[in-house]
Amino acid sequence: MSGEHASINKAPRRVRSLKSRRDTLAAYMLLSPSALIIGVFGIFPLFFTVYVSLFRWRLARGRFTGVGNFISLFGANPLALVAVCAAVGGAVLAVFLFRHRSSQQRARGVFGGILLALSLAGFAAALPALAAQGDKDVFDALRVTVWYCVCTVPVQLVAGLLLALLLSRPLRGRQAFRVISLMPYIAPTVATAAIFELLFSLRPDSFANQVLRLVGISPLQWLQEPKGVFALIFGGAAQTGATGVIPAYWAAWAQGPSLALIAIVFYSWWVFVGYYALIYINGLAAIPRQLYEAAQMDGAGKLRSLFSITLPLLSPTTYFLTLLGVIGTFKAFTQLYVLRNPAVGSAVDPISVSIFFTAFRKGNMGYAAAVSLLLFVIVLGLTVAQQRTTGSRVSYGD
Amino acid sequence: MAIEDPMRARPRPTAGGVTVAVLLTLAAFLFILPFLYMLSTSLKTVGETIIRVNPFPFHPEFWPSVPQWVNYATAWTTANFSLFFRNSIITAALTVAGLMFTSALAAYAFAKIRFAGSRLVFSIFIATLVIPESVYLIPNFILITRLGWYDTLAGLTVPFMASAFSIFLLRQFFAQLPNELLESARMDGAGHPRLLLSVVLPLSAPPLFTVAFLAFVGSWNSLQWPLVATQTMRWRPITVGLATFVTEAGPQNQLRMAGAMISVLPVVLAYFFAQKQFTEAIARSGIKG
Repeated sequence: MSGEHASINKAPRRVRSLKSRRDTLAAYMLLSPSALIIGVFGIFPLFFTVYVSLFRWRLARGRFTGVGNFISLFGANPLALVAVCAAVGGAVLAVFLFRHRSSQQRARGVFGGILLALSLAGFAAALPALAAQGDKDVFDALRVTVWYCVCTVPVQLVAGLLLALLLSRPLRGRQAFRVISLMPYIAPTVATAAIFELLFSLRPDSFANQVLRLVGISPLQWLQEPKGVFALIFGGAAQTGATGVIPAYWAAWAQGPSLALIAIVFYSWWVFVGYYALIYINGLAAIPRQLYEAAQMDGAGKLRSLFSITLPLLSPTTYFLTLLGVIGTFKAFTQLYVLRNPAVGSAVDPISVSIFFTAFRKGNMGYAAAVSLLLFVIVLGLTVAQQRTTGSRVSYGD
Repeated sequence: MAIEDPMRARPRPTAGGVTVAVLLTLAAFLFILPFLYMLSTSLKTVGETIIRVNPFPFHPEFWPSVPQWVNYATAWTTANFSLFFRNSIITAALTVAGLMFTSALAAYAFAKIRFAGSRLVFSIFIATLVIPESVYLIPNFILITRLGWYDTLAGLTVPFMASAFSIFLLRQFFAQLPNELLESARMDGAGHPRLLLSVVLPLSAPPLFTVAFLAFVGSWNSLQWPLVATQTMRWRPITVGLATFVTEAGPQNQLRMAGAMISVLPVVLAYFFAQKQFTEAIARSGIKG
């Protein structure tokens, strides 16, 4: 770039502007094919979704309903939605205060702590109210999505890191192992999900049930079991005594993810652990060896090196994978679509599948567009929040 | 194994080393087991898929008594997987070709030309990466219906013929090429298209391969959009064929697994032949959500 710049500056002013104008024209010509496609199918749709969401839109555009679809989504009283947003905003502000306080500013820390506690309490109270007056299906789908995210991402991070650490030492057959560990990730999701549909079927002779029998557990319904796992393990205990809007809502959470969803979680582990390991291996390779040698000279053991060198220096990788994983689970569709069994109703339908069915089975596009905007806002919020909170703590090596 | 050079003899296996080997073997077994299950089920008779079952590949009951290769022929012809396969190949090839064309042009413009608005346009492109596919689904469905592209090849391919991500990957690489190379060709009077074709592209085989591979796998594996954008068998890809596989005779899992094998093979075979490039390509990006 600098070379080009120098030669341009030597040219007379008129020639220079002519050249740069011609360059600009050429650049936009080269950009036009991508800009056309990205504009029509990538940017315009976002605004068009907002437009669609304001109508009663079945096969064709119907009556203009304004915020009607959003009222069916969040309920008629906007107070609950405002309260939930305020609680989320408060929590974000509290975390921000924590992160940007210096040692002199103890008041900030105290204030941040109080704000965080208030926000969490407000959230715990306002969300049930919102769910009670809003669309039950959507809020159930959100719960499924959150469970799916919570059950998959942390396990994949830890297992991926462990695999990467095992693979970081010289070993015969390392390349073969890498190839094998990535196969689940590369193979088409529809095909591999179809295999898991057989592995975790409710038949007493299915793979999963035969394995259970080996350890003396009676067969389970797996993909056809809509009951929550905590409810299954502890009996109906989690459900009792749940009266009133707020306890009833959180009691539904307390039942845990459905067993059907857990089977899909196993699938996700199987697919993504190899990929996470690959990314971690790249992260490990970037850590300078001298650091370990220096630590060894100072008498640090292997475990100490792991916690003082490896993990802190891997934090950019962990951050990247967390972001990718959380956003990925909110967007995930194929495996959940293939592995959902009609017998479990909507117990494993995350928000993406719910949108799909609302739009293309029930034909209610206007409403589905409104729900998809909610998903968009959540994914955008997660991206921004994660960048703001984790971003400054991440170590970039130097 | 040949006779070992005593100077380079391996150190005696330590307890730690053995543990690592055992753990990795176990992990490899878990990764590969579902594929073996798919293979064995695809070769069984209908009856065997129900009664001849065992969770462990070491056990003879895991495998069919006599491999039914005919299942593949049945899946290919009667269950229409030949048509789905062909549709997927054509869709993926067209998508990749279109994407490579648009991305190379745009990446060159961003990497090698200084122009007004360059940063702004680039940021707008990149911002589209945050938007979940579910948000595109409804507006793009309405759009292709209006364009008359519903249930056509155009509807399946054109929306994916440009991607901010591919442009980003190629731009990173193009930007590293020294400007002196371009400047000397420019002195000889070559224009930008010429520079791209005769200087930049010949030096960029690895990143072009990466982008092509990621685009191919993305297109081959996609389900949500084809589910929405196709109605008849005409252009239905293999993923939709597999996901909506039902036979009049009820659950024919051996045929479904044969179909799954057919859909897995091209990707996995290609992967075996070019492991290194593929691993690098995957490391650079997530191809799955």
